Amino acid sequence: MKIEGTYVISAPRDVVWRHLMNPEVLARSLPGCEKLVPNSDGSYHAELKISIAAVKGSYRGRVEILDPTPPERYRMKVQGQGTNGFVKGEGTLTLSDDGAAVTNISYSGDASVGGVIASVGQRLIHAAAHQLANHFFQELSRQVQASQVA
Amino acid sequence: MIPEPFEYHVAHSLEEASRLVAQFGSDGKILAGGHSLVPLMKFRLAAPKYLVDISRLGDLKYIREDGERIEIGALTTHYEVESSELLKAKCPLLPETAAEIGDVQVRNRGTIGGSISHADPAGDWPAPILALDADIKAVSTRGERWIAVRDLFVELLTTALAGDEILTAIRVPALGVRSGSAYSKLHHPASGYAMVGVAAVISLDEQGNITKASVGITGVGPKAYRATAVEEGLQGKPASVKRLAEASAHAAEAIEVNSDLYASAEYRTHLATVYTRRALERSIERAGHAA
Repeated sequence: MKIEGTYVISAPRDVVWRHLMNPEVLARSLPGCEKLVPNSDGSYHAELKISIAAVKGSYRGRVEILDPTPPERYRMKVQGQGTNGFVKGEGTLTLSDDGAAVTNISYSGDASVGGVIASVGQRLIHAAAHQLANHFFQELSRQVQASQVA
Repeated sequence: MIPEPFEYHVAHSLEEASRLVAQFGSDGKILAGGHSLVPLMKFRLAAPKYLVDISRLGDLKYIREDGERIEIGALTTHYEVESSELLKAKCPLLPETAAEIGDVQVRNRGTIGGSISHADPAGDWPAPILALDADIKAVSTRGERWIAVRDLFVELLTTALAGDEILTAIRVPALGVRSGSAYSKLHHPASGYAMVGVAAVISLDEQGNITKASVGITGVGPKAYRATAVEEGLQGKPASVKRLAEASAHAAEAIEVNSDLYASAEYRTHLATVYTRRALERSIERAGHAA
């Protein structure tokens, strides 16, 4: 399935970029992230406990940040296995300035989801993916704003 | 599949239910008719450690008039709403919607309160209660409050109910004079869920102009919503065929339209406009026949 969307953060682009590349910030922003540790090859091992209301699932997998072009774009590859399904995805994150102090983030990717969540929960996946992406950017934005005040 | 193991508690009073719900916190879920929760548990998409069964609380099963409004207890089944003579007379949108829910078995067991608090993005109830500007009663050990339905649906499967609150009643206005309502739904052929479901309530003046238009839509986005873009195109205008078509074109405006195996976002957007137009047409026709 295609996942795409945009998000606006009121901060300069290089500040947003730095936060996006910071594994501690990512760990706090990824919904339900309990662990994000670097592997020896530069990728990350991630463990997430995702919940949307009563629907909960634990996932563990691999996140790779590829072809970073600061402060403009990077590609991300994700692969995860969980209690009720598995997910594989690849996408691009693009940052652009909208004035000196506003950054437009646009994301676009393809994900395949399989397992119970994909069969039984199929009609909910698109909305869930968007919601999780929004929560990620909301939390990222919060951290960016907090760092700006400090 | 069978659910993961859980502890099952029966509440014998609303007070006991509130206490148990507060005690179990996010590890607990309320069980009423079970037709939203139990399928999730059987697929192990949800695995609450504790279930609080409130289905024995007979005091929460009622439909009664309260001045110009009707109050419905949360444990009222979809079938009881569907067959209520009081509602058919005073608020026909609700029995009409109830008749479209799932199938006979679901309508006999499922409850209006349970269904609303589950907030499935394709569940039927949110559409008419949004169109009616209903109020929802929420009770907890901390007290009780009424929540306006426009504040109720927050995001996917999530309502404004706090973790320890129990939805106990729904309060709706009686249909006014020169008013009509309709629920227009495309059923998914297997699950019966709404691919799109549109509830409309229209009031006309003596010249046939639309004085009030409310449109609630489910099945289209991550949560049910009021189609304000449609309503704005109708307010104060004559109820012409052209006007309805133009207004209906905005049915999915500014909504993150769902896309799944059964309908792409483009197709679903199109469905929203068609079913909105149908719901509006029927509402206006019924408003015209009302005294």
